[in-house]
Order: sequence, then structure tokens, then C-alpha cells
Amino acid sequence: MVGPQYDLVGNPLGAVRATFERAAEAAAAESGGREPVAAFRGKDWGANEVFRSFLFEQGGLDKVPVLDASNLGLIKPNTLVRFRGMVQDMLGNEYYVGAFKDGSTWRTNKFSDFSPFSIPHPCDSHLWERHLFHCVPVPGQNSWTRESSPGPDVCTMSICLTPEQREKRKRGADNDAMDVSENGNVEASSSSKKPKDDDAHNSNSSPEVSMNKEHIPEMNGVDHHIPGSSFSCLVKVYDMPESQVKLNDVAEFIGVYTFDPELAAPTDNSDDIMFDLIEDVTAQLPPSKVPRLHCLVRRKLSAHDFLSKPPTAEPSPILLKSIRQSLLSHLTLVLGKDELAAQCLLLHLLSRLLNKVDVVTVGRLSLNFTGFNRESASIFGNQINNLIQRLLPYSQAIPLSIEYLNTATLQPRKDNKSGRLITGVLQLPQGTHLTFDETLLQSGSLTSKGVENTMLLKNLMESQMVEYDFEYYKLEMATDIQLLTLSEGKSNILLSDLIVPFRPSCVPGVNASAEELESWRWYLATVRSLPQSTESETYQMIQDEMVSAMRDDRSLGCSELSRWLTMAQIMASSFGENSLSIEHWQMVKELERLRKERLQ
Amino acid sequence: MVHFAAVSSPDVRPSSPLPATNSSPAQSGRSGGRRRRRGSASPYPSSPSLGGFETPPPPGRRTPSGAATSRQRQNWTGRFPPTPSTPMSTDDVPPSSEAGDEDTPETDGGGVDADAAPVFVWGTNISVQDVNAAILRFLRHFRDPRDAGRVDPVMDEGKYMRAIHRILELEGGESLDVDAHDLFDHDPDLYGKMVRYPLEVLAIFDIVLMDLVARIEPLFEKHIQTRIYNLKSSVCLRNLNPSDIEKMVSIKGMIIRCSSVIPELKEAVFRCLVCGFYSEPVMVDRGRVTEPHICQKEQCKATNSMTLVHNRCRFADKQIIKLQETPDEIPEGGTPHTVSVLMHDKLVDAGKPGDRVEITGIYRAMTIRIGPTQRTVKSIFKTYIDCLHIKKTDKSRLHIEDSMGTDNPDANKTAEDVSLGDKVEKLKELSKLPDIYDRLTRSLAPNIWELDDVKRGLLCQLFGGNPLRLPSGANFRGDINILLVGDPGTSKSQLLQYMHKLSPRGIYTSGRGSSAVGLTAYVAKDPETGETVLESGALVLSDKGVCCIDEFDKMSDNARSMLHEVMEQQTVSIAKAGIIASLNARTSVLACANPTESRYNPRLSVIDNIHLAPTLLSRFDLIYLILDKADEQTDRRLAKHIVSLHFENPNIEEIEALDLPTLVAYISYARKYIQPRLSDEAAEELTRGYVEMRKRGNNPGSRKKVITATARQIESLIRLSEALARMRFSEVVEVRDVVEAFRLLEVAMQQSATDHATGTIDMDLIMTGVSASERLRRDNLVAATRNLVMEKMQLGGASVRMIELLEELRKQSSMEIHLHDLRSALGTLMTEGAVVIHGDSVKRV
Repeated sequence: MVGPQYDLVGNPLGAVRATFERAAEAAAAESGGREPVAAFRGKDWGANEVFRSFLFEQGGLDKVPVLDASNLGLIKPNTLVRFRGMVQDMLGNEYYVGAFKDGSTWRTNKFSDFSPFSIPHPCDSHLWERHLFHCVPVPGQNSWTRESSPGPDVCTMSICLTPEQREKRKRGADNDAMDVSENGNVEASSSSKKPKDDDAHNSNSSPEVSMNKEHIPEMNGVDHHIPGSSFSCLVKVYDMPESQVKLNDVAEFIGVYTFDPELAAPTDNSDDIMFDLIEDVTAQLPPSKVPRLHCLVRRKLSAHDFLSKPPTAEPSPILLKSIRQSLLSHLTLVLGKDELAAQCLLLHLLSRLLNKVDVVTVGRLSLNFTGFNRESASIFGNQINNLIQRLLPYSQAIPLSIEYLNTATLQPRKDNKSGRLITGVLQLPQGTHLTFDETLLQSGSLTSKGVENTMLLKNLMESQMVEYDFEYYKLEMATDIQLLTLSEGKSNILLSDLIVPFRPSCVPGVNASAEELESWRWYLATVRSLPQSTESETYQMIQDEMVSAMRDDRSLGCSELSRWLTMAQIMASSFGENSLSIEHWQMVKELERLRKERLQ
Repeated sequence: MVHFAAVSSPDVRPSSPLPATNSSPAQSGRSGGRRRRRGSASPYPSSPSLGGFETPPPPGRRTPSGAATSRQRQNWTGRFPPTPSTPMSTDDVPPSSEAGDEDTPETDGGGVDADAAPVFVWGTNISVQDVNAAILRFLRHFRDPRDAGRVDPVMDEGKYMRAIHRILELEGGESLDVDAHDLFDHDPDLYGKMVRYPLEVLAIFDIVLMDLVARIEPLFEKHIQTRIYNLKSSVCLRNLNPSDIEKMVSIKGMIIRCSSVIPELKEAVFRCLVCGFYSEPVMVDRGRVTEPHICQKEQCKATNSMTLVHNRCRFADKQIIKLQETPDEIPEGGTPHTVSVLMHDKLVDAGKPGDRVEITGIYRAMTIRIGPTQRTVKSIFKTYIDCLHIKKTDKSRLHIEDSMGTDNPDANKTAEDVSLGDKVEKLKELSKLPDIYDRLTRSLAPNIWELDDVKRGLLCQLFGGNPLRLPSGANFRGDINILLVGDPGTSKSQLLQYMHKLSPRGIYTSGRGSSAVGLTAYVAKDPETGETVLESGALVLSDKGVCCIDEFDKMSDNARSMLHEVMEQQTVSIAKAGIIASLNARTSVLACANPTESRYNPRLSVIDNIHLAPTLLSRFDLIYLILDKADEQTDRRLAKHIVSLHFENPNIEEIEALDLPTLVAYISYARKYIQPRLSDEAAEELTRGYVEMRKRGNNPGSRKKVITATARQIESLIRLSEALARMRFSEVVEVRDVVEAFRLLEVAMQQSATDHATGTIDMDLIMTGVSASERLRRDNLVAATRNLVMEKMQLGGASVRMIELLEELRKQSSMEIHLHDLRSALGTLMTEGAVVIHGDSVKRV
């Protein structure tokens, strides 16, 4: 194989077209000139391979700039960029002229909005489809995840725009803004909503924000829940069944960034009154604000992908055990030397949804620390939040006050007028951690919105489901969210699986080094993805254990036993073990005994 | 014509997306003709798929009714080839010789002209003459096989000929609905052509139809459109793809948005400002009207003097709706797709947002122009569906239209029946399974462990009995009320939640949070008008559904007493200032409560444990005591269940159960269409069993501590047996139903375990929720033990230790036997009077 003749970063479309023309010629020769490109519909002709090998085998990934709000407008159109985000909305399919015959050569429009050559008339052409996804930066994404895979500095690159280009570009954007304020009622409504949300945000989470300003950029707030106010990206994905991408998936898209001032120009409204309904939703996403990305390579991201340097070591039990020890001792210190709470917190952080049978969820372990009051919540709560933020890729802290419940938009809602999904606080990617501070809750009356929000939270707690409002019906979306509640007494609004009275004996005051944090992140990500296998003897053993436990205590129910088993499983994996053994079960029983003592 | 590369020919007006969808009939005919012509002459054979959107030809059927149209139509049908000089010829000049040629088949009135060279639809192998003849054959000769048996004077005519006559007689109809199934049955080839080339075939269809009409009634002026519906296969909105473009598709969905009605100019009339001369109507060509440059009046000839006269122009209605996927078609983790649908004329406002509809139409794509001044078009297409026919499908869920009441069970059996046809067949097949009863039981809350008999009772509640209204006005309810009383942690609430999900119009409330008015109804003052209004409470809202009340024991007495009326009379009466009303509350009540001392106290009688007013208690058909009793068997099974939830257990047996939607459909079908009646034998069995129950209750030692059989109970039994028959889709209640009903009633109250002397329950005898297989196993064990006792032990001989018996039994049988099992088996034998047990030793008597 010869190396790529094209600058894949600077001119990816050149490579796409070159491979296409080559493939089309080959196909034409093979089929004798009849419909040579028909077979390319929904398929790759080799372009993908070129990019994959460039990105992943030749280390080209580091050369690809990361598209974000800061460099939007600096990157030259039709170059290769990367974007990491969550699929916030699925905007359906788009049909485009995929291939057409220009004279005697077949050309393609794949991976671009525009044809570089004018399409002759009449001509043979093929209509292909692509999927549109509206992607936003991951809600609650913590700052450390961004350091993991920095792209090259855009301005030093050859693909940077020249000043005059930038100028022109800017004007386009200005026009656009005007345009939007004129006819985009979505934007208008969202901006009217903005102050309210901002208020809620400021009043409730300001102590936390001010405390760790250097750690939490604005991304971690609720800003992204206002459509249009934050950076987002319209990703066009090719050649795959749509079912492969799910709502709220977090993925990295590598593809061609396109910007065409002509596209940004206002569409004629003269005879289009009736066509606003046919008008696709992309019209509300002005290209100057919402960049278009034609995805060449897509990969789903897991917590592992956010680690800055993947450790070379295999996850051996010995290694994992030592990290477990250091993490546990750190947790204990953060929790004011409350070892039981630390143990439970560790199990909680390692929990993940394993299975869902009807309404029964298996594997989740929501945690409720009781015994907090406002003061201790501000001390320990912040410590806990702080730590979680530095350990997990996505986390959010929600102050649960009457005001918040009555005003916040938790439920994602489909706006059928604009055809878009308006996000809510609970539109979260799988594996998000949520901390509720219930100490702020005082008696008061809930409005109907407050009741709805409470029901949503309850439903999330109980069945890991979030109901999305589609105006004429509700649709339940499965989630996997870790939920931690800090409350004074046992929280009756948010019924957690595990209730632990919190008994700190000293004030926390520890700081972890960067390496430690690094290893803990790796530990959490690794343990959560460890496979579990259990031999049939263990089944028998556990069943016997359960039966004897039930004999001892008649009040044990299905849910408690199920929770024990969950905890035992997590306990086993926390030591890096693949299978559950009797010691882990005993450890959990001991933990439960201690916990029950405290509850009395 | 619309080409997306209009750039190359600057003379051509920038193509607008508009005209493609709504050009006039004249053009439709002409464009169709041109396409056909080109097919025979085109030097560049192009792919058919391309032809589809390269020239989005307006469908011939987009024609609005009206004088001009029919006039235009008559050009076609009235044996005159269209002359190039007609005012609508704003397009490039068609070669008239060819026009005449291509019109030949049509002018022939649909008959096959043997002399004419075959004319093909451009880019296809469809012969216009063949299609023409086939359509004519279909319209003339199709006879509905369903009509075959009927004797009808008009029967010598086909179904559609009758329909055409009807339209002519009424002079109202403007469209002929054609069932695509009929078309398929009659001529599958024609059906295939129609689906693949709808524009062309439908244009011919309209022409044939108009010609037919013209022959019957030459003076008939209106234009009749063909509306195809009920295609053989309907596409899922999500699966529409580029290959469907220009094809006829049928999709189901929900309307989420409608645009306002858009008047669309069809014909423009101009007046000369100089001389006042009115021009001939100018047809709108692809959204544009060509204003005449010169006044056509010979004497005037003024240039640029023409002005549009609005009120002389003709407009047609148009509307765009957005159709969204219904929730059941959305895959997990996806959002619903939407598609725009263009509606014309009569179809405008045929559906409202929120309606579920099935739309038959042509899937189309059009180019997007960049700007009004730019000729370039983007390489992107917008898609929409040109609607041909809209049908409202049944309400959101099968079970909403549930006619449990006696009011009019046959009223709404019409349209929905057809669409549900194959679903119903499946349900009927299910109902024929011998183990359907067990299967249904398993399908109900499969994740809730054990409690099989409770689930059976709940199933009965879901299916319900027959309500009866006597001519005298007396009303007997068909709803079954159930009370679950039990120890905490026995998943009562989960059962309730599940029932709430399953039942039509289920309402779930908690006793602690419900007030009397909240449950029934209350009178409120409207803040704006000051009028008193009735607001419905939970029970009224769950009319014809199940009202689930959790924590029944924690409800205030006042609220509870409100239930008396609801549970027997099934109405809620309100007598407040200004309003005296009686509201229907035909609801089944499912309540659950904890025993008085929060755990069941075996020393107290059943009644004392439940501690509810007997008046209320007697209104529950079934009262289940769900007792948590130490039983290693159950514990083990529970443990196994939990473990299997957590691990991918390979040796867990696959239970055959119905999934939730099927279960819901099954129940609602049964409730709607099956009205079982008691057979004579069943009635006899009922009387016999009832008398027996009464006797038991009148046991001299009972001291009223037992719930005795009352007249209410016989009603309950009838309801239960009816529900059981319904589960089998049986119209007759058989003896086995009655027997099972008795069993359910007994199990419910643990009556088999009640010591009639004291009214308390013998805890050792409780077999809560023992599954059928388990019961069989225990029966076998009893039989085995009996045999053993008979064999080994002398009548009145020495006593044997239980352990010895156990070992003996273990030797004999292959199954695993616990001492506990043996003890219960011996207990049964003891009640039979075969043995006596003293501590650990057994003695035969």
C-alpha cells in the first residue's frame, strides 16, 4: 500500500472522492458499465478504511483538532475535525444526491453538503440517505476528561482560517443571528426562559461553583439545558442502521467539518409560508452556531476513553486491590473517618445497571447518607461532590429545594412545533452520577410542575427510567444513573436502596495527588467494566445463605436479599475478582450488620 | 420541468418546490404524456429510479373539482385531443402530432385500440393501453366475494360500478374509494404497477373513471378522484428509504401538527386595465402564473396592461400535516421520526393533532433551492408524502374502547374489526391453548414471586363478569372487587402497580392520601364564571377500569364509607347545593391493606385481623390473605429467583408467557366480545356448592367469627365463573369454571385452612400461592404416604416415628422429600381420619 496521497486532515474530501472515483471505475469495469455505483448505496467503498488506518494505526488522531465552542470559526471548512458529545436529539434522515454522473465519470457528494462540481442536467444520479444527530457536549462532563485527549492547537495549524476569511465568516454569523431573532421563535422562547433557569442555577449552586471555580468551568452548570445557548453540533452519520446510535449515547465523531455561507443565507420566505412545516429542523440550527460534521469515523466512548493515558498494566487483582485500599482510605478521610460510609460509597460508585426485568432493576445501588444538616452538608457534601467530580467522567449535584422542584425543567420534552427535543436536567448519558442535597428541602407546597418533577425523580430512583414528554404520549427511556442522596433523615421522596446514617468523627481535609486521582479513575472505570462469571456451586451457596438468612430474620424481603447480592457482586469485583465467593458475601453481611446497628 | 441542475439552462425559470406538488390537471395529463413520449423517443435510456425524481411529475389526481377542471377533463374524455392553443399551454410547445398519438388510447374510452402502437409509460414497461384496459376491467367486473351470498337486485353490477352509480345519484361524492386489497385480488399485476408507478397509473385510473362516468351520465360535470386505501403492506415510518420515493406507500402514525389551510391559486383571471377585457383563465404552472403581456382583445392589444382579478380566480385548499411515529414503533433508545404529509381539497382537516391515522400516499422528494435568486439547488432533498387517502385508526390503545357496560355492545363493532382482523385471529388461537389459564396466570406480573392464586383472582378481576340489567331496572355489577390483606413485604403494592398498568383506565391512589371527595367526586366553584361544577374523583375517573387503592386500612372511615355505594351500585351520588347528580363509577376496586397489628396475628380470627366493617367487607368478591409463612420451600424458590435475576443462569426454565401488549389485547378483546352465559349444568353446580358453603358457615361452634356465605357470594361466584369462561373466549360458562370459582373463593379466604370452631387460621395449613405443579406434587406425596401407611402399619398397631416413614418414602420415590412435606401430608391424612399424630410418632387408626 502506498501512503495517502492526500492531506487527510486538510483535505479529507479529496481522499473521499479519489477513492470513490477509483472504486467506481473498478466497478464499472467489472459490471460492464451498467449501474456501477448502485452497489455503493449505504456502503463504504474504501474511504473509511483509509481514514481508519490513518487515525488509529498511523497515529493521525493527534493531528486532528477537537471542535469546540472556542475554536468554532477558526477552523477552516472542509477539514477533518473531532467532536466528542452526547446524542441529544435524533433529527431523522436526510436524502441527498449521493452519486451522479458527470460526463463519463461518477462523482460523489458523500460527506459534504455541497457538490464541488455542478451537477449536469439531466444526468444519472443516485439518492442516498444519511442520519442527522444533534449532539451537545456531555451534560455534567467533568473538566478532567477534557485533558485526556487534547487536539493540536488550531491556530498553529495550516488549516486555520486567514484573517479575512474569518472576517467574512463573522459577517455570515451576524446575518445569521439577525435571521434567527426574526423568525426563530424557539430561540426567542428559550431566551425568555433563560433568566429563570439562570436564577435557579445561581441561587442553588453558587456556593459550590464559587468553591471550586478552577475545577468547574461553566460546562458543569445547567447552561446546556437551554437549547441554542450553548455549543452543539449537527452530526451527519453515514452507512449504518440508525438503531446503532441511541439517544444519550456519548461518542466521538471524526469527520469533515463543513461550513457554507450559502447554506446560512436565509431561505426565501416568499412563497414558503406553507413550507415551514416541511422545513426540516436543521433550519433552526444556523450553521454558524451549530457546525455541521460529516462523520467518517465514529466510536462510542466509555469511561476508559477519558483516561489520559491508558495504563499498560493488566487489571490484575493485586494491582486493583492496592488501588482499592488507597481509594478506600481516601474516601474514609473525606467522609470524616467514617469507614462504614466509605465502604458503602465505594460500592455505590462501582454500581452499574446490569439487568432489567420488567420493573425490577438489577445492579443499581442508590445510596442515601442520612444525618446531614445544612452545615455538615456544606462541608462534607462539597467534599463528596468534589471528589466525585474528580473521579467520574460525568456528575452533577442537584440541590433539592422546593423552589428547584417547582421551577426546574427535569423532563426532556419534544417540541412538536420546532420538531426538536428540548432537553431537561434528566437527559443524561449512561453512567452519570447525580447527587441530591435534600437538606435544602423545607416544608412548602409543590406546584403541579413540582409534583411532576418529584414523580420523575421517584421513577428514576425506582426503575431507572426517565419519562420523556412527546406531547401526545410519554416515552420511557432507560437510563443508568448512580444516585446519591444527602438528607437529614431517611429520604422519603427519593427512596434509595441503601440507607446509611453518616457518622463523621473529624473534619475532612485531604487532598489527593494527580497520580492518585489518575489511578482511582482507572480503577473505577476498570472495575465497573469487569465481567462477572459465577459457577453453579456459588449459586447453590448463595441460595443456601439466603434461605438461612430468611430463617433468621423473617422481615427480609426480596428487595433486601437482592440488594445484598448486588453488593456482594460489587464487593467481589472491587477486589478485582471475576467471580463471587463466600467471603464477599460474608463481608456484605457484616457491613449490613454494622449498618443495621446504626439504624437503630 | 423541475431539474435540480437548472443552472445549465438559464432560460428555465428557477424551479420551485411548490409546483411539483400542486400543478393543475392539465399539466398532469400533459406531463404524463410527455414523459411517455420521451420514453419512446429518448436517446438516453435512463434508470427508472432516476426518472422518478428527475421529473417529479404532478400526479394526475391532484385535480381539484370545479368547472374548469371538468372542462379540462372533457378534453381528455370527450374525444378531443387537447389543442396546443388552450390557455394552459404555458409550457414549451408540445408537438401536436405526438399529442394526438398518445391520446389515442384515452380517446378510445379505455378500450384497447388494436391499431395503435403500444405506448409505454416512460422508463417502464407499462403499456398504457394494457393498464387502461385492466383498470376498466377491474371497475366493471370486480365483485366483492363477501357479497357473494347476498341476494340483491343491484348485485349483477360490480362493487365499484355500484359505488360509481351511488356517486352519480348523490352528486355529492367527489372521490371513489378503492380498496387496494380488492385490486390485488382482482389483478395482482395491476396492483404491482400501481404501487410502483402510482403517478402514471393513477392518472390513467382517473381518466378511465371519468370516461366511465361520461358514458353513464354524459352531463355529469364534477371530477371524481380515485382514492386508494388499504394497501397490502404498510411501511414503518422509520423504514422509509430512498427506494420508496415515487412509490405508493401506506404508513401509520400520529398527527402532531397541522398547518392552517392554505388557499392555493389554481386558475388566474386577468383584466385589461385599458379596455376591461377579461382574459381566459390562466392555469397556474408550477406555482407561477404567466401574466399576459398583451391584451388579447383584437381591438386593444395594449401591452403590460393586465391585472389580476382576485375574486375571479379559482383557489384550492391545501394543508400540510406532520405525521409522527406511534410509540410502539420506536425502538429502544430512539426518538420518533416524523414526515410531512401534503393534503389537498377534501382531505384538508380530515385529521386533527393527536389522531392516529393510516395514510396512503406517494412518497416524494424535492430539491431544496438555496435562495430565491439562486438557481443552484442543494444536493439535499426534502421528502414528504402526497396524501391519497387518510384513515383514522382505532383509538390509541385497543382497550380504551371497552364496552363493559350493557349499553350498546354491538355499536362499535364495525370499522375496527377489519383492522384488527389478524390480531384477533392470533388471540383466538391463544385462547384455544389448553393451558391458557395457567399461561395467563404466569404472564401476570411474572416477576412477582409465587402468589399464583392471588394472580388468578386478579386475572378474574381484569376479565370481569357480565353486568346484568334487568328490565325492572335492577342492576347487577359485573366488576369484581378484590381486597388483599397481608403481611408487609409480600409485594402487594407491586401487584397493585402492575394491575394499574395493565387495566384500561386504571387509577392508583394511596389510602392515606385520599379523601372521600378525592375518590368520588366533588363540587367546586368555577373561579371564572362562579358556576358550580362537578369534578370527578378517582373512582369516577376509573369508570370501566380498575381503581387500585393502596393502604386501604389507613384510609379514614369517612372516605371508606363512600365506597359502599360505589362498590355495589356502581354510581357516585352527589347532593350539594345546586347540584344533585349521580355519576357512573363502574369500576373494579382493588384494595390492599395490612392486618390490624401490621402483622397477621394467628391467635385472632380472620375478621379481627382485617378489621373492616363487615358491610364493606362483604362487597369484596375475593379477600386474599397473603401471609408470610416460614416455609423453606418458598424461601428456597425465592432465593433461586433472586439469584437468577442477577446471573445469567443457564438452567432457569423458560416460562411460556404472554408479553404485556398481547395480554392487554387479549383481555380487552375478551371483555369486549365475549359475553358468556351460564349453562344449566354450571347453574346446578353453583346451587349445590352454595348450599354446601352455607352449611359450613352455619356450623354451631362458629360464633360468627367466620365469613359465611351470603347471597352476595353467589353473585361473586357467578361473576368469577363468567370471568373464567371469558379467559377461554368461551360463550358458555361450564361446570369446570364454577368449580374453579369455588376453589378461588375458598383459597382467597384461606377457608380450607380456617378452623371453623374458633375462626382462626391454622397456620400450618396455609398454602399461599402454591403453584399447580407444587399442588400436584403434594397430592402425590399424600397418596404415597397413604399407601405406605396402609401397607406398613397395622390398624391400631404400634406407632411409627416420622423419620422412619420419611426414609421409607425416600426409598420408594425419586423425588426429594423433606420432613416438612411429610408432615403436611400426614396432616391431610389426619383430617381424613386415617392416622393420628402424637408429636413425632404416627399411629394408624
